[in-house]
Amino acid sequence: MFSQLVMLGSSGMLLTALIVLWRKHVPAYISAYRLQVWLLAGVTATVGYFASDWRLFAVAFVLVVLKAIAIPALLRTMLRRFGAQPEVRPYVNTETSLLIAGLLVLFAYVLARPWMAVTDLPTRDALPIAMGLLFVSLFVIVSRRKAITQVIGFLMLENAIALLAAVGTYGVPLLVELGVFLDALMGFLVMQIFVYQIHETFDTIDVEQLTRLRH
Amino acid sequence: MTVDRSAAFLFMIAGYVAGAIVALIAPSDRIARGATAIGAASGSVAGLVTALAVLATGDRFELVRPDMIAVAGGVAIQLDSLGALFLALVCSVGLFAAVYGFTYTADYDGRRSLRFFGLMFNAFLLGMSLVPCAANVFTFLFAWELMAVASYFLVMTEHESSDARAAGLWYAAMTHFGFVLLLPMFLIMAPAAGATAFVDLRAGASALPPAARSTVFALALAAFGSKAGVVPLHVWLPRAHPAAPSHVSALMSGVMIKLGVYGLLRVTSDFLGTGPAWWGGLVLAVGSLSALGGVLYALTENDLKRLLAYSSVENVGVIFLGIGAALVLQSYGLPALAMVGFGAALLHTVNHACFKTLLFLAAGNVLRGARTRNMEQMGGLIKGMPVTAMAFLIGSAAAAALPPLNGFASEWMVFQALLSGAQIAKPEVAIGSPLAVGVLALTSGLAAATFVKAFGISFLAMPRSDAAAAAREPHWSAWTALGAFAAATVVLGLFAPSAIAAMYRIVESVTATPRNVTGGGGIWLLSAHGVAAVSPLLIAVLVASVAFVAFASIRARGFDVRVADTWGCGRIRQTARMEYTSSAFAEPLRRIFSELYRPTEDFSVSVHPEARLIIRSITYTTRIVPWIEKALYEPVTRGARAIAASVRRLQAGSVHLYLLYIAAALMAALASAWWFE
Repeated sequence: MFSQLVMLGSSGMLLTALIVLWRKHVPAYISAYRLQVWLLAGVTATVGYFASDWRLFAVAFVLVVLKAIAIPALLRTMLRRFGAQPEVRPYVNTETSLLIAGLLVLFAYVLARPWMAVTDLPTRDALPIAMGLLFVSLFVIVSRRKAITQVIGFLMLENAIALLAAVGTYGVPLLVELGVFLDALMGFLVMQIFVYQIHETFDTIDVEQLTRLRH
Repeated sequence: MTVDRSAAFLFMIAGYVAGAIVALIAPSDRIARGATAIGAASGSVAGLVTALAVLATGDRFELVRPDMIAVAGGVAIQLDSLGALFLALVCSVGLFAAVYGFTYTADYDGRRSLRFFGLMFNAFLLGMSLVPCAANVFTFLFAWELMAVASYFLVMTEHESSDARAAGLWYAAMTHFGFVLLLPMFLIMAPAAGATAFVDLRAGASALPPAARSTVFALALAAFGSKAGVVPLHVWLPRAHPAAPSHVSALMSGVMIKLGVYGLLRVTSDFLGTGPAWWGGLVLAVGSLSALGGVLYALTENDLKRLLAYSSVENVGVIFLGIGAALVLQSYGLPALAMVGFGAALLHTVNHACFKTLLFLAAGNVLRGARTRNMEQMGGLIKGMPVTAMAFLIGSAAAAALPPLNGFASEWMVFQALLSGAQIAKPEVAIGSPLAVGVLALTSGLAAATFVKAFGISFLAMPRSDAAAAAREPHWSAWTALGAFAAATVVLGLFAPSAIAAMYRIVESVTATPRNVTGGGGIWLLSAHGVAAVSPLLIAVLVASVAFVAFASIRARGFDVRVADTWGCGRIRQTARMEYTSSAFAEPLRRIFSELYRPTEDFSVSVHPEARLIIRSITYTTRIVPWIEKALYEPVTRGARAIAASVRRLQAGSVHLYLLYIAAALMAALASAWWFE
């Protein structure tokens, strides 16, 4: 029951990341992200319930407040500022993107094999999925042009790491967790400032324009 | 008189540090300049007191703090008389350079960061002062790098000129080349891990097998030779010295390159002791190359400061000739004769520091007055700047080794050391030693020609540009430095016998050989066995009395003086364009040594379009090709460029590509876990 619930949540998180690869509109990304955070909070709470660790409930609560409510709200503000700029021409088209994402998940399974051999946690089946989510988020950052898409990719990368921590070691000490939250929030705010600056300078949030900065 | 030497030493450090910090936080440029000068001057005075106290008593001064930066072996200071001599040099040049710099850098007010300059100037002096005091590897390397880094920034003071930037790059590359060789040199000598005090190295070096000793020697020669600027490692010197502000050039040329000599002496004659004869032979060869190469390039140079820089290469060559002769003599078991070589090298080190500082500071005055370094645009400066001209003349005469000035005394002693090679009945010495004597003789002659040109073209005849005609003396405070070094040049020349005796005492304390050479009998400068003797003081008296008699007899007989124009060969008007130019002066020698210079010549005549016989202008351009430099360094720079260009392709400017690098690196790191399965 425990491992099935965790698998369900993790797979859902991976699916929400794949949404970013085939949808083109930023509002869809934001809802995908919010959904992913809810799922992450669910997985964390499940682990907390079965491992009877009250601290994971606290983490799940902070996750919901910070990442499912505050950050999506900030993202919407950004969206209002720039208008809906769809991800028109990503570096890699949708079909290839999905193919690559599949390969990355496969690669994650291969990578996680030695790791899975040495643990006997009930959650260990979710480990390759968490790593796959990590790779897919990285791929989103690398292959998309709009700064806002990249920010969402980064946020999903954060989620992947949080998921890895929850299923791999039943969460890290609360202090570290809080540090990570603060880190993520600060990182997000800095990126927000950058996106505003890029928009102001180049009148677009297409990151490719930054190539012009070299000399 | 007793001096608390550790208090003086700490005051020296405090002076430099305070100068650096106050200059950095100064509210105005003027205060920054003042703080720079006061900090550097007070630090230098304290350092000079420390050095003189050690030199006077001859016993060492020690200050060991193993708890400071204990990871690297702690800070260890030990000042023996050899170190004290170099510390005294650094501090005396530093003192006057600081005074001179106060008005010299006024030109930079508002245009350049004088705060940063003050920080670096004091850091440079601190580094140079600590090098001869260091008594373990960490302290030495720290001081060495502080000196190198600070002087790099000083060279880059006028960083908007591409020449200065290129000079900085060359300097940085060469100084790091030297540093890279220093590390293995020290490591080979260290007898055990962690034993990095110089005492341990001395013990370790004596236990080394001969091959390792020779490796240490070769590394020391290359590492310290690159700092001293010997051919072929001299490339940075004629670039960096002219680019720096003049008082910094004086410090670099007068003292910093001498610390290379210090390092070489410390490692060879102190740590390693007597070695095989080829060590000395190699040093002689390097010295001959530098002496001859330096003076030949100086001769054709039209840039006043570059000329002086090349002359420094020459003089370092002369110093190396003395050291080389000493090493050869030492290896054949003639310590008394070797003493003459070491003493002559040390004396020339001191003497060159005096007259080269004098020349660079005078050149700084010229630069301020005439606003150019190109001698072809100077001329007639003696009218506007008589004091500077006089100082430059004294410096030039010393550099040309004219008696009774100090350059003469030490070069004569180097000659004596080289001639002692005749005492060794070996074919290689019998060939090598006269060759070295010949090289030194040729060098002295060419140096005389070089400085006749430098003084004559710059200061005599008619001004070749409006700026040269308008040149005036700078603020009087610039004269104190000139006066001090001119006096030192003269005094060290007249009383050279006492000076060489002092050098012998220092050599004796380092090499621990008994002193059985007499430094000089009163006023006589003697060779090792007293075969040859010369007295600079008597020469001076002779010259002075001849001049006095001539002058007095003219006055007594009352020649009537008629003031009129010189006969102008029928020319109506004399212009500066009719004057002997700097290039023309060097032309005959350029032809003789054309194989070395390989001059490129470009001759173009532009004629009137209607009548071909009417010539509008003739342009003649010639430049010399430093082919040795090209042959040695071009492959290296080309290789470095090729590597840099291929690495640069990684930096494409695309954020996505950079993110891809990160992702790829992460995946590679994760995949590497397979290996540890």
